[in-house]
Amino acid sequence: MVDHTSSAAVNEPGREVAQDGHWIRIVDHFKREWQIYVMLLPMILWFVVFLYKPMYGLQVAFKDYSIFRGVAGSPWIGFEHFETLLYSDQFARALKNTFMISMLSLCFGFPVPIILALMFNEITNQLFKRTSQTIVYLPHFISTVIIAGIVITAFSPSAGIVNQFLQWLGIEPIYFLIKPEWFRPIFIGSGIWQEAGFSSIVFLAAIAGVNPSLYESAVIDGASRWQMMWKITLPSILPTIIIMLIIRIGNLLEVGFELIILLYQPATYETADVINTFIYRQGIQGAQYDLAAAAGLFNAVVAFVLVMTANTISRRLSNTSLW
Amino acid sequence: MAGVHLEGIVKAYGAVQVVHGIDLEVQEKEFVVLVGPSGCGKSTTLRMVAGLEEITAGDVTIDGRRVNRIAPKDRDVAMVFQNYALYPHLNVADNMAFGLRIRRMPKAEIKTTIAEVAQILGLTEYLDRRPADLSGGQRQRVAMGRAIVRHPKVFLFDEPLSNLDAKLRTQMRAEIKRLHNRLGVTSIYVTHDQVEAMTLADRIVVMNDGRIEQVGTPMELFNNPVNTFVAGFLGSPPMNQVRGVLTETGAKVGNSEIKLDAKVNGHVGREVIVGIRPEHVSLRAGDHTSPFPVALDLVEPLGSEALLHARFGDETVVFKTETGGDIAQFSGVDHVHVPASLVKIFDAETGQAMSFGA
Repeated sequence: MVDHTSSAAVNEPGREVAQDGHWIRIVDHFKREWQIYVMLLPMILWFVVFLYKPMYGLQVAFKDYSIFRGVAGSPWIGFEHFETLLYSDQFARALKNTFMISMLSLCFGFPVPIILALMFNEITNQLFKRTSQTIVYLPHFISTVIIAGIVITAFSPSAGIVNQFLQWLGIEPIYFLIKPEWFRPIFIGSGIWQEAGFSSIVFLAAIAGVNPSLYESAVIDGASRWQMMWKITLPSILPTIIIMLIIRIGNLLEVGFELIILLYQPATYETADVINTFIYRQGIQGAQYDLAAAAGLFNAVVAFVLVMTANTISRRLSNTSLW
Repeated sequence: MAGVHLEGIVKAYGAVQVVHGIDLEVQEKEFVVLVGPSGCGKSTTLRMVAGLEEITAGDVTIDGRRVNRIAPKDRDVAMVFQNYALYPHLNVADNMAFGLRIRRMPKAEIKTTIAEVAQILGLTEYLDRRPADLSGGQRQRVAMGRAIVRHPKVFLFDEPLSNLDAKLRTQMRAEIKRLHNRLGVTSIYVTHDQVEAMTLADRIVVMNDGRIEQVGTPMELFNNPVNTFVAGFLGSPPMNQVRGVLTETGAKVGNSEIKLDAKVNGHVGREVIVGIRPEHVSLRAGDHTSPFPVALDLVEPLGSEALLHARFGDETVVFKTETGGDIAQFSGVDHVHVPASLVKIFDAETGQAMSFGA
C-alpha cells in the first residue's frame, strides 16, 4: 500500500506512485468526455455504412461474380481480372488518359487558386474585391450537368460563342467536342473555371492568418507589395499549399468523371476515356461487375501509394505532412 | 539633428477622433516613453510617426524634414513590434538581413553588419536558428537586431516587452537601456507599464484619451504630477487620493487634519483631493507630520517592505513601509503619519494640481 498522506514521500526516488488501472482511466475518460463521442458517432456511422461496408463487395474483384450466386457464393479466381485489365487496350488507354488528365489538371489547375488568392489579397477596393470573389465562386455552385450544357453550347460549331469569335477573326469553325486533341484543354479549362475560385478560399483563409505586423515590418524595411507577396505571403502559406497538394495528389486518379461522361463521345475516347468512365461502361452498362471492381481497386491502390509517397516526400523536405 | 517633432497631430477614423492634437518635441538621442492606459492613442501616435497610419491633421517632422507624405521606408526609422514580427520561415541571420537585402546592401557588408549586431546582442550562436526555436527573450533580441542593423535615425518601440514574463522583462529592460546608452539613437517607446516608463525614459509622456496629460522626466512626473490622472498612473502602488476640504493650516480629511507646508490663503473651504504617496507615510510621528487614522485590514509582505491596505472612511488606502524583517509589528497600527511637505493637493472639480505660495 502506498502512502498518499505525505506529498514529499511521492517525490522520493525509487518510490512508486499509485496510479489507477488502465481500464479505470478509460472509463473515467468516457464519463468525462462522452459528449465528444456522441458528436463523433454520426460520422463513424457514415464511414461504416458508406465506406467500410461496401468494402465487403471488393472481393468480387477476385471472384467470377454472378448476381445470382451473390458475393459470397461466387467462386474465387485470383488475379484473373487484373490480368485481363492489364492486357486490355481499353484499360491501358484509360489508365494513360487518367494520368494525363490528372497531371495536366494538377500542373495547370493547382496553381490557379493560389494565384487568385494572392491577387484577391492585393485588391484594396472592398466593393471590387467582393464582387470579383462572388463572380469566381459562382461556377462552383452550378451542377455538373449545367456546366456540361454551358461547355457544349459555348463550343458549338454553329452558335457557340467561341466559334463565333473565331469566325469574327476569320477562322473556320472548329468541331471542338469531337476532336480528341481539344478534349483535354476543354475539360481542364472548364474544371479550372468551375473550381479555382472556390478552392482559393482555403488559401485566402491562410493568407488572412498571416501576422499583419510582418507586413508592417516589411513596409518599414522598404519592401514593395511584390516583394511582400514573394517573401512573406507565399512562404507563410506554404504549409497550407503543401497540405492541399498532398490531398490533391491523393485524389489524382479521382478524375471528375461525371463531366467526362457528359462531354465525351466515341470520337474522343482516345483522349477522354479514363478509369472511372471505363468502370462505368464495363460495370454499369456491360454488367461486368467483377472486372469493374478490379479496375476500381487498382485505381484505389495506386491513389493510396501516391498519397503515401507525397506525404513522405513532403515530411522529409518541408516538415509538413498530413499525418 | 535626428529629433522628432510632432505638431498638432490628429488621428480620426471616420467621425471618431482618437488622437486630439498632440504636440511633442523629441530631442536627438533622447529616449522618450509614451505611457498610458489601453486605448489612449499612444500606439496610434507611434504608428503615425512610423508611417503605418495616415495622419489626419498636423505635422510630423523627423530630422527637420516633414514626413507626412513620405513612405515609411524613406523616413529612416526602425520599429520593434510587440509580437516581434519575425519572419517564421527565415533564420535569425536572414531575418536581420531582410531590410538590408531589400535596400540592396552588398552581401559582404550585410554579413559584417549582422555579425557585429549579433555580437552586441549575444545572438552569434543563434544565427542559423528559426524564430520558433528561440526563447521569448532571444526573439525580442532578434527583433531589436533587425532594427539596429539598419542604423536608423529613430527607433520606435511598440510595447516590445509585454509578451515576456516578469523576470525576462526586467532583464530586457536593462538591455534596452544599455543599448540606448551605447548607440545613442533617438528612441520613442510605447508602453502601458509605468515601471518600464520610469526606468527607461529620459522623459515620459503620459497620455490619456488621445491627449497628452504631462511631459517630463520620470522624477518630475513622480514628484509633481499635474493632475490626479498622472498621480494615479505613475507609482506602484499609485498615489492615494482622498477627498478633503482646505482649512487655514492644511486639509481636513474626515475628522482629522493633514497639515500642509504651504499657506492656502484664499482657498479655505474649497473641496480638494489630497494625494499621499504610499511610500511617503511613516509609522512614527516626525517634525512636520500629521497623524492619519486608518483601519488596517490587510498586510502584504514583499520581503524588505510591506503594503498596508487600510480603510479610511469609505475609501481604501495603501501604504508602503519597511518591515525590518518583522510584519507582526503592524498588527496594532491605527495611525500613519503624513509629512506636510510631501502631500499633494488637487482641485476636486478639475483634478488639476493646486499650487500655493509658500
